Amino acid sequence: MKYSNIISFLLLIILTFSSSLPARASDYLNDIVRANALYTEKRYTESIQVYESLKHEGTNNGYLHYNLGNAYIRMGKTGPAILNYIQAQKWIPRDENLAANLKFAIKQTQDKIEPPPQGTLNVLFFWVNDFNINELVYFSIGINFILWITLILWLKFPILKVTRNALLCVLLLSFLSIGVKINNESNLKLGVVLAENVDVKSGRAEDTITLFQLHEGALVKITDRQDDWLEVRLNDEQKGWVPHKSLGT
Amino acid sequence: MNICTLKKAALFSLFLILTHSGISFGENISVTATVDKNNLTLEDSLQLSIVIKGTKNTPPPQLPSLPDFRVTSAGTSSSTQYINTQRSVSITYNFRLTPMNTGTILIGPAKIQINGKNYSTKPINVEVQKSSSSTTTTNKAAFVEASLSSKKAYLGEQLVYTFRLFHRVEAKNLDLQLPFDKSWFSKEELGEPKTYIKVVNGLQYHVQELSIALFPLKKGLIKVPSAIIELDLYHRTQSRTGRDPFNQIFRDPFFGRGVQAEHKVLRSQPLSVVVLPLPGRALKGFKNLIGQFKIAAELGKRDLEVGDTTTLTVTVSGKGNVRDISFDEPNLKNQFKIYPDKPEFKQTVHDNQIMGEKVFKFALVPLEAGTMSLPEFSLPYFDSKNAEYHIAKTQPFFLNIKPSSAKEKLNLVQSRQQDAPATKPEIETLGTDILPIYTELDKLQINGSPSLTFLGAGFGSPVVLFIISAFIMKRQNRMKYDVAFYRRRNAYKNASKRLKQMSEFSDSKEFARELSEILREYIGDKLNLQGKAITAEEVQVRLKESNYEAQQAEETRILIEKCETLQYAPMTQGSTRQLLGESENLIKVLEKQS
Repeated sequence: MKYSNIISFLLLIILTFSSSLPARASDYLNDIVRANALYTEKRYTESIQVYESLKHEGTNNGYLHYNLGNAYIRMGKTGPAILNYIQAQKWIPRDENLAANLKFAIKQTQDKIEPPPQGTLNVLFFWVNDFNINELVYFSIGINFILWITLILWLKFPILKVTRNALLCVLLLSFLSIGVKINNESNLKLGVVLAENVDVKSGRAEDTITLFQLHEGALVKITDRQDDWLEVRLNDEQKGWVPHKSLGT
Repeated sequence: MNICTLKKAALFSLFLILTHSGISFGENISVTATVDKNNLTLEDSLQLSIVIKGTKNTPPPQLPSLPDFRVTSAGTSSSTQYINTQRSVSITYNFRLTPMNTGTILIGPAKIQINGKNYSTKPINVEVQKSSSSTTTTNKAAFVEASLSSKKAYLGEQLVYTFRLFHRVEAKNLDLQLPFDKSWFSKEELGEPKTYIKVVNGLQYHVQELSIALFPLKKGLIKVPSAIIELDLYHRTQSRTGRDPFNQIFRDPFFGRGVQAEHKVLRSQPLSVVVLPLPGRALKGFKNLIGQFKIAAELGKRDLEVGDTTTLTVTVSGKGNVRDISFDEPNLKNQFKIYPDKPEFKQTVHDNQIMGEKVFKFALVPLEAGTMSLPEFSLPYFDSKNAEYHIAKTQPFFLNIKPSSAKEKLNLVQSRQQDAPATKPEIETLGTDILPIYTELDKLQINGSPSLTFLGAGFGSPVVLFIISAFIMKRQNRMKYDVAFYRRRNAYKNASKRLKQMSEFSDSKEFARELSEILREYIGDKLNLQGKAITAEEVQVRLKESNYEAQQAEETRILIEKCETLQYAPMTQGSTRQLLGESENLIKVLEKQS
């Protein structure tokens, strides 16, 4: 009697969730189909509106960002296009179309600034840039599972010691890779100039000296944030402050 | 002397050494400052030594503010001395002080903190005088002079500053400070220093000459302060025992004998120059070029077809800032396609003047047929020698462009080369565009980030699985090799099974015997004993020893004794069932206690 009650309760929960999820997912897919159709019909402004509304709902999908970037390119807005391509790279880092379109978009800009090179850690962990964080986590879970199964077998068959050690190394390496990825995403914050042109100031005030000017689509590294100002850096020598609203992050 | 006495002596000696070294080390710390001379000229420098006695492990002393001196470190030295088993240590910090002004100058106390205690030196007064013969060069071992190529110059005009060091004795460790203010001049090196010999007042001097081109940036009277050079002069000393062959060898500077070193600070005379603004109104297109310049142009092919290439070379040469010259592309829109080359620049120095040549090349591809003219290149500049503006110009060029015959020729070549192996056609890129959007819905599905529960289950479940597996395997192993454990684990199961089968025994004697055996074997399995051979009293004792309750131990003994008695007395149906129930209950109670 008791068991049947628990099973009924679990079934109720599963049904509740399973019925609510497809409804949300089907709405989302309907909107995607509509936005894609609008894009194909060259109604780019409307397609951007639909893509943006999906993005604001918190949908994390690299291909959605990619499509939105394409729509912006068609509208001649290189700044938001590059911003979306950069955001797409976080989820689909190996996508060749994305790399080609980002290159194309950067060529359209006046400053033609390529994404900044990665640090020493990324040279050592060269594979990290080819995977998104979810892929790295799933890989670690998989390796973790195989390692513990191997450990169980090793209790019975000590010959598996080498396999056990190798798997342990791979697991540690996968944990380090996750660490490097998180470090990259928290430290290397990129910003894209959305305004037509932006004066980079020597301080956090409009009346400070203009050090240099950036134009729409310029990619910059954000190194600090104070109130409504962001500190941006192009290289070791060129850095300064810009209003937060002029950059997309 | 036995071993024990030797050990005592050795320990006593060690104690003495340690106590004595402790007394001399770190005690009686004193800090003093000394100078090697307190009366000097602007040409000399003095050595300030700060001696710290009583310790060697100290931070460098903190010098007082010395605005009248240029201070450089001259190294440290330390010493350890043993006098009558007393050890004394000291460290000396040396500084070279070069006076910048004359007068009585106070060297304030230097401070140092040792073991938390502050020490300071006594102040020292030094007298700095002008060089006795600063204006004359008579009989001096070394002197310097500086000169400017002109006392008057226009803004941006090239001036040459020349610094010369004259020395009659060997000069080493030269440290030259040239005094140019970046806000007044921009400067350019004029090559390596020159070395030559010159006779001054009948005396032969070695001269080292350094020239620098200066370009004034501001108008007005500009003062160029003294250049300062610090150097060591090596004077050979005369010896009366010079004929001794060994003395000859050891008087060689290599051995440091027969040579006396003198540290000197030499200053050149300060100079001044009047910088004038450029006169009148500048010419159109004037880009601050000052000097004398020539311009020449040369054209490659003058008769060519549409699509052919010809090269226009423009060469600018002269005295002045040639490096800064630049030309825009000639305005030939719709007539030519222009490919500018990177300009080549060569710099030479003649008579301490910068001369330069800059070559600009433009590849021109005509787009239309006809007679075309190339516009002249003009270079407005200010001739500082004659104080007037000039324009240097190239001559105009005329080109005869014919329509292209490339199409016909191409067909001709293709028809001849039909048998040749086909080469890969060169595909011209006509345009670029972005790649299309993704429409596959499986790619556009929502990607959720893994939840904490998922991560916990993913990483934790294999660990739990491992712990359970390890526990089971360990138990299996124990069951295999540990007989006592195996018997203990299976005791209750075996006893219960046999008790269930008791109904088969109808004979009361057999029943009692079997029940007694079951009970004893259960106890035997639990305590790892030979159950069949054990007596009722022994069962009670062993159960107590194994921490079973005394009451249960006694009940067990009574039950076993009862079973043994009943083997020789007849039993009723009811009493056998009661006995069976008692036995089952007792085994359950014992199992709980185990």
